[in-house]
Parts: sequence; C-alpha cells; structure tokens
Amino acid sequence: MTEATTAARLEARGLVRRFRGDAGIRGIDLDVAAGEIHALVGLNGAGKTTLLRSVLGMLRLDAGRVRLLGHDMELAPPEAWSAVGHLVEQPFAYRELDVATSLAAVARLRGVPRGDVREVVERGIAALGLQGLERRRVGELSLGNRQRLGLAAALQHRPRLVVLDEPSNALDPAGVLLLRAELLALAADGAGVLVSSHHLDEVARVADRITVVNAGRVVGALDPAGADLERAFFARVHADDLERSGT
Amino acid sequence: MTGSRPLHGIGTAIAVEARKAVASRALQGITAFLVVGIVVLAVGAAAGAASGDERLAAKLGPLAGAGGWNGLVGVVAQVESAAALLGFGVALSWLVGREFADGTVAGLFALPIRRSTIAVAKLVVYFAWAATVAVLLTGAVAVAGLALGHGVTDAAASLLRIPPLAVLTALIATPAAWAATAGRGLLPGIAATVALIAVAQVLAVVGVGGAIPFVAPALWAIEPDAATGWGLALVPVTALAFAGLCARAWSRLQLDR
Repeated sequence: MTEATTAARLEARGLVRRFRGDAGIRGIDLDVAAGEIHALVGLNGAGKTTLLRSVLGMLRLDAGRVRLLGHDMELAPPEAWSAVGHLVEQPFAYRELDVATSLAAVARLRGVPRGDVREVVERGIAALGLQGLERRRVGELSLGNRQRLGLAAALQHRPRLVVLDEPSNALDPAGVLLLRAELLALAADGAGVLVSSHHLDEVARVADRITVVNAGRVVGALDPAGADLERAFFARVHADDLERSGT
Repeated sequence: MTGSRPLHGIGTAIAVEARKAVASRALQGITAFLVVGIVVLAVGAAAGAASGDERLAAKLGPLAGAGGWNGLVGVVAQVESAAALLGFGVALSWLVGREFADGTVAGLFALPIRRSTIAVAKLVVYFAWAATVAVLLTGAVAVAGLALGHGVTDAAASLLRIPPLAVLTALIATPAAWAATAGRGLLPGIAATVALIAVAQVLAVVGVGGAIPFVAPALWAIEPDAATGWGLALVPVTALAFAGLCARAWSRLQLDR
C-alpha cells in the first residue's frame, strides 16, 4: 500500500448511479485525505447528495468502488464504521427522547463503549453549543437547534471520516462558526472531512479543496484562496452546461 | 455491511430500541387503548349479552352466554382478537415506519451495527412490549371480573386464555413490519394490518380457515375447539418468516426514493 493510500480517509473511483430522468452520478472519482476538508459544491440536483449517499452505502452503485478508512466499503469492519460520522439530510435524533438521551443512543449505535458515552455526549453538546438543552425533548427543538443536534450526533465521537450534506442548513451564524471550528479541529487531528454545499458558504470557504459537481460529474475545482469564488463557480458550471448542450 | 458479523451489537440495538419505545407516546397510547379499551368494550358487551340482547349475544359467539369468568373472558377474547391485532399492527408499523417518516433511517446507515440487526432488535422490543401488554390486559380483566362479582376460585382457568391469545395476535401482526419497510412508512404497515384484520375476522366469523395462521387465533378466540393445531402451530412459523423477510428488506435497503 502506498503512503497516499494509507493516509486516505476516503477513495471513490468511477462511481456511477443512475436514476430515471437522467439524474444521478456518472463516473465520479473523489478523494479525501487525512487532515483534509474537501468541499463539494454544485447547484441543486447536481448529484452531491447522491454522491454522499453512495460513499456511505446508502445507495447501491451501478459501477465504481469505494474505500473508506483503508477498507473496501463492502468489507469494512465495525471498527471502521465506528470511526465514521455523517449527517445526510435529516438529523439523526429521536423526537421522543431528550437531547442528551438521543445523543447517547447514537453514540451507543456508533460503538462508543458504555462507560465513555457520557463524556462523548458532553463533548458533542459543548462543541455545538447545546448547553442548557440537555433535558429538552428533541421534538420541541427549533429547526436550527435540531440541526446542531444532528451535527453533534455526527461529530461527538471524533470520527476519522466525516461526511456532511449541506451542514449549514438552518444554522444561525453562531452555529456556523461552531461547526467550522469543530471541523477544523477534527481535520487538525487527522480526520478527513467531506462536506457538500449548494452555495459557497462559510463551511465551504474553510475547505482545503473545493470540487465543483454539475450534472452528475466533477467539472473542475476552485482554489479556496482564490478571489471571487462565486464568480469562478458559476463560470465553471455555465461552461459545462454550454459544453453539454453542444453550443 | 458484510464486514460486520451478523447480529454484532444486537444487545446495544435492543437497548436503544427499548429506550425509544419506553419514551414513545405512540406506544403509551396504544398500550392504554389495548388494556383499558378492550376491557371497557368487553365489559360493556358482556353486560349487554347478560341483559338479554339476543342479537349481541349471537354476535359474541358461544362463550358469551356462558356467564361468569367464562363469559367475560369469552367476550374479551373476541374483542381482543380484532382490537389487539389493530393495536399491535399499528405499534409495529410505528416502530419500523417512523424511521422513514422521521427521516432517521439515514442515520441507521454507515453504522458498526448492521441494519438487519437493528430490524431484529425492533422485533425483539415489539414482542417484549406485546408480552407486557398481555400481562397488563390479563390483570385488568381480572380486576374487572372481580369488580363484577365473579368468584375467585374459577378465575385462573378462564383468565389464562388471554395471554396466549395476545401473544398469538402479536405474532400474526408481524407482516406489518415487513410492509412498513417495503413501503417506507407507517401507512403501508397499517394498511397491511387492516387487511390482516379483515381476512382474520371474516374467515373466523364464517368458521373457516382454522388451518390458516392469520385466522387461527381469531377462530380460537370465538370457539377454541374450532381452531386446528396446525393453524396455531403455523402462527410462530409465519411470524418468523415475515421477521426474516423484514430483516432482509432492511439489509437490502437503499435511500433511492
């Protein structure tokens, strides 16, 4: 195994998953290295969520291969899945439970040893600023706090691979800052972070790498340090649309 | 996730499902419906039959006219065979279908515990809850019978029919779990439950289908001698088969809708 392979938190090659109506992804390669925040940006319907679902095993692929944390996805042992944290679409939280109990349930399902659950939950609550809401029922939370809770559930166990779909949705500016700080801390500790966004939000802007997805394919990259990222993004997408329409 | 062993983490999955079930207002409501509702309905119907309402007595079957514990439990059993199937089926539809309705199903992917194991844990918690309902219902009927002035001496023989009927009914509701998975929500599970009730009740009332597992418990409730051993023996086998189908459906699940 090369050093690059061992250091990769996620490697996806030739991912194809088609849906009716020409939607889906068509041959995407993707890497997330240890310590890297990799942002996927694309318009609605570009295939970002399909891509994230594919690398987490939520969709069966028509073609392609995924390796996460050094294991083929189909053969990844429980220890590897314990080191994954994800939030794709709805927060993983149960409305009949209170915040702390819901986080504890998720921690247990993630394989956190029973004796460590309390510490892990306290960490998640502090990281996403949920102090004071520990005994509040999830069903009573605002949309923004529910999103914070979903992020805490995804990140509380300090995963080595993080996959988040549009994580800043419904977050207030303070929540975005907390999320950004947490992702930077996890990456600094060696985690690989894959995060999607339909716009160049505050999270995408802290990425080490920004990949542009359009019509189910990777159509280029943006320099995170570049000026006027938004204009560069739309130019890339527009150029791809023109190319595909043959004009 | 073929990299993890089958049933790896089943204890954890059961503990988490049990914690969710205990906190669930839906299950609390269904428990109250099953225990209090059935007893109130049965006591009312038994009182009606005892007061000489022949049409009601005819509908309640041969046990209703027996009076005493036999009469009360006979009516409870008949009400239970339909109402408990509805309650158990709705509860199971909720336990499974809520993951789709609430969008929490995405969180059940990419875990060290297989989804099929989580499905098995849901069924284990469901059967444990159903057994608890059986005990509570039996206790509630005992209290009602004593309040009606039935004697203590012959209570046990009659009351002991209630728990097995509840358990058999809980077992034949198992297809609701599979339907809720296949249809990705509560409603398909509830629809399957309603279909099961229709089949069981219609065939039991006309007195056929004693060898069909979905009918045997209802038939046994109306007239114990009419149900065949085969029909009753096939109940757990059928439940196991649908539990297997449900676990397989969870294992093959995709978020493609």
